[in-house]
Amino acid sequence: MSKVYDVIVIGAGAVGTSCAYHLVKKGMSVALIDMRDIARGSSSHCDAAALLSDKQPGVDVALGYDSIRRFLELQEELSNPFDLEQGGSLTVCETEAQMELGAEYVKAMQADGYDFQMLDKYEMKQKEPFLADDLPGGFWSSACCSLSPFKLCFAFVDEVKGKGLDVFIHTKVTDILLDDKGAVCGVDTDQGRFTAKNVVNCAGVWSGKVCDFLGLYFPVEPRNGIILVSSQTAPMCHQKVQEYGYLITKFQTGFKQDPLVEKYNVTMNIEPTEGNNVIIGGSRNFTGFTEVADINVIRAIARRAIRFFPILKDMNCVRAYQGMRPYMAEHLPVISAVDEVPGFFIAAGHEGDGIALAPVTGQLISELVAGEKPHKDISEYSYSRYKGKGPKA
Amino acid sequence: MAERFDDDMLVCRCEEVTVGQVREAIRRGACDVTDVKLRTRAGMGLCQGRTCEALVQAILRQELGLPADKTGYSTPRTPQRPVSFGTLGGDIDE
Repeated sequence: MSKVYDVIVIGAGAVGTSCAYHLVKKGMSVALIDMRDIARGSSSHCDAAALLSDKQPGVDVALGYDSIRRFLELQEELSNPFDLEQGGSLTVCETEAQMELGAEYVKAMQADGYDFQMLDKYEMKQKEPFLADDLPGGFWSSACCSLSPFKLCFAFVDEVKGKGLDVFIHTKVTDILLDDKGAVCGVDTDQGRFTAKNVVNCAGVWSGKVCDFLGLYFPVEPRNGIILVSSQTAPMCHQKVQEYGYLITKFQTGFKQDPLVEKYNVTMNIEPTEGNNVIIGGSRNFTGFTEVADINVIRAIARRAIRFFPILKDMNCVRAYQGMRPYMAEHLPVISAVDEVPGFFIAAGHEGDGIALAPVTGQLISELVAGEKPHKDISEYSYSRYKGKGPKA
Repeated sequence: MAERFDDDMLVCRCEEVTVGQVREAIRRGACDVTDVKLRTRAGMGLCQGRTCEALVQAILRQELGLPADKTGYSTPRTPQRPVSFGTLGGDIDE
């Protein structure tokens, strides 16, 4: 490739396409490279929500809220629809003890200024009549959104393709090239060489392999999740619904419940889709680089879903799929320049929040590459947390 | 395959995807069955590609001149046919 780009973005999932879009918006020329197709990895093997109710109070929810604000702007900005709907989400408690923990969580979120409300049993049943009768209540968050992740990726790409963005799919990066001063000057791929002074690593679960080219320590690993798809159905679930235990399994392990579901780290979440089916999760397991779904986990998810929505018992499941979340032990992504290698940036490690945080991540990366001060404090997401660790230290 | 399909012919009945939509997906970069599925939903419905997969492969061969071993297949997904959540979730060895 003889053309010289301002930036090469590696990985065309939600994060990579958002970075590419926002970089072009800043006036830069961008080559977006992916070893497979746009949205072919985790961004098409996931659910379809951008939530506040799965975030921790503090920076976590602040970034999530900023991204939802950006989603609403993007809905106007992008020509192609990505089915954004701000329908809110419901979190269901299974026990009185969870109601007490939920009330503390809601109070913390309200103190941060977010619209969260506790619901008693009857208020909850008004929102979701098919929930099991014995559930004591839950809480509601109005800002949560649903969207189509892969339509989002295509919408980002289609908006700027040919207007500053060139897309190279089925192109595998084989090395990152440095000049004699140790700064980035391009990448090699199985389709030829690309030249640019900046490279952004948006390779999700594969971002550790990209960092390996530079000998950089980046401990990301796949934490896999399975989703079950129902056949088309009359409306039986009206918004994103998750059990309170979902929050617990996201941030810690050892949540005590049904022994089978505990064994497979499964908690219930469910949402209606544009295709008139419901998709049901979910699980979090370290089973390596694979999209093959374990039948035991599938069965545990089905059992857990019936516990909350008994109506599912006689409904059909048509398929199950597994996606890989880019997990980092700190539960925080890296959105950062890398001081050790001038011109190298990382936007990866979002675990299950890659879709939800894609807009704000792309915006922040475009600011960093342009040499501007980021529009919010992102010191928590700095690569410097790995300074002194790993082979490059 | 000498015959050229009309653009308005239905390829995937479950998701109502036409030949024209598959051709458009190919024009926009799709190179195999999974790429087409992602861009059109062909193969994502009740029958899980049993009917449309061979047609999508044929269109890929036609449009891109691909040999038979380069068009790819749908990813096999559990369950192989629709089964109730109750059957899936019940009677498990713990």
